[in-house]
Amino acid sequence: MNPRRSISSNPASTVKSRFTNGFLQALLRINRQRITSTTAYTPREIFRGYLRVKIAADVSMASAIGSRRAWSRAILRKVRSHGRDGAQVRRMSFLAMRKRNLYGNIKCVEDAGFHQANVLRKLVPGGEAMDMCCLLGETAHYIKCLKTQVKVMGRIAEVFST
Amino acid sequence: MDGHENEDVGFQHGGEDNLHCPSLGMSTNPLPEKISGMIMSSVSMYKPSNGADPFFSSGWDPLASLSQNENFGGSSTVSHSEFANPPYPIALENQGTSSTCQLVRYPSNSSFVELVQKLPCFGSGSFSEMANSFGLPDCGQIANSGCPQNYASLKESGTGITSTNGVLSRDDPQISCEGAIGSSPDAKKRKRASDSKNSPVTHQNAEGELQKDLSRESSDVLKEPDEKKPKIEHSKGSNLRGKQTGKQAKDTSSGDASRENYIHVRARRGQATNSHSLAERVRREKISERMRLLQELVPGCNKITGKAVMLDEIINYVQSLQQQVEFLSMKLATVNPELNIDIEQILSKDIINSRGGVGAILGFAPGMSSSHGYPRGIFQGTFPSIPSTTPKYPLLPQTVLDNELQNLFQAGFNSCPAVDNLGSNGNLKPEFQ
Repeated sequence: MNPRRSISSNPASTVKSRFTNGFLQALLRINRQRITSTTAYTPREIFRGYLRVKIAADVSMASAIGSRRAWSRAILRKVRSHGRDGAQVRRMSFLAMRKRNLYGNIKCVEDAGFHQANVLRKLVPGGEAMDMCCLLGETAHYIKCLKTQVKVMGRIAEVFST
Repeated sequence: MDGHENEDVGFQHGGEDNLHCPSLGMSTNPLPEKISGMIMSSVSMYKPSNGADPFFSSGWDPLASLSQNENFGGSSTVSHSEFANPPYPIALENQGTSSTCQLVRYPSNSSFVELVQKLPCFGSGSFSEMANSFGLPDCGQIANSGCPQNYASLKESGTGITSTNGVLSRDDPQISCEGAIGSSPDAKKRKRASDSKNSPVTHQNAEGELQKDLSRESSDVLKEPDEKKPKIEHSKGSNLRGKQTGKQAKDTSSGDASRENYIHVRARRGQATNSHSLAERVRREKISERMRLLQELVPGCNKITGKAVMLDEIINYVQSLQQQVEFLSMKLATVNPELNIDIEQILSKDIINSRGGVGAILGFAPGMSSSHGYPRGIFQGTFPSIPSTTPKYPLLPQTVLDNELQNLFQAGFNSCPAVDNLGSNGNLKPEFQ
């Protein structure tokens, strides 16, 4: 128990700090790339930059969480398999749904919350393969991580804007 | 994973808005001995000592220390084992006469009995052998011993789950006893009588069995009793913990509806008592437990009753958080800081330690207390220097890294389709691999 406390007192190992460090490094890299390119202010370039930053934020958050959570694993999996074609992605989601029905109870449409559960599955990364119970747990953790992310990114934006 | 468990306490010090944590922590502090089974269960859902989630860590520290000091709290040390093993010293002995109290264990017990009977080693004749092989006092002693004695012996194991397993292993002989007597639904009734005597032990037993029963992996059950024979304590505990996810571990404790301070699933009057419906009820209770936790996370949901409405709120909240992330990433993409390696280090320290809210930037209260306060409209108005693309952003998909990004990009800009791949592949892999 005490070793845990001593680890916890080390600031470099919290989720928030890991995310902050990873995200800042990614931001610096992206900015360095942007500076070298000449056309940095067309809408197209801005949108590309936005996408990069958004992906960087999500991936750095998932890396900070590691493999402990299904949603972080799903994000990292998506990044690593980004080159695959869409057909394979759809096949994987179909298999995920089958897996969910196998291990979880199949809830029919009349159940309260069936439609919302589907929407939630699309929102939470990796939610396709989860039954309701896991989905709610992952959603709770995901919400907490999103809050962290928003706070840190807001703070960074604040610092950069001054 | 253990290394990460409580390291995230620091995260909590960042001034998280987990307002409920301290209050819950305080309220449960006076009840450590008695178990606030339910409260601790809901609390320990995200208890850092579980190694599951770090966010409530500072708020839960008193509880964590309590649970870690208490032997029964060992269950909370299990990752994702949300519900503490209640201390059954006193109350269980009183309930021998309750007719419905032990129904919780029956489905799992009966199934476990069947499984146990399949094991050749467990026979009524070899019961004493088994008991001796476990190095334990015999069944009668276990049955009559008070809880503290069990816990004293279990304490050596070091973890609660291990203690659960240890007890479970000890219970095997008892179950085999009863199973030998009547391998039928009648065994339930006999167990009722013996359960009252073996209450402290079988309670944990029930938890362990519910773990297995509800995990629907009977292979685990078959394996574990065998494995427990050679080595009672530590390793099996960790194995069991490793095998069973949080969902199953929660099943055990949620499977016990509350009788006094304990969590028990009780087949209520007029309800079916077969194993399927009880498992269903356990599952429903687990889901409702998580919904309650989500209710605490999402602001403004304290008064909402009803699963569908609650889910709607959760969906809205997740969508709004994701949109905030997108907005902020857009803002960061357009801002151009003076870059410096030192700046990064200074920034990271500053950001980690800063407790400032995000409201200054986003122009709204970070608390977002009202359920309709998600300021989606604000985002559209404040996109810097890209007014022409503003209408596109509300349409952005909520998922990241989808191939839909490519489509959106094309829809938005008539750009070359390879740009998205370039943007991602070119940057992500070196950055994050």
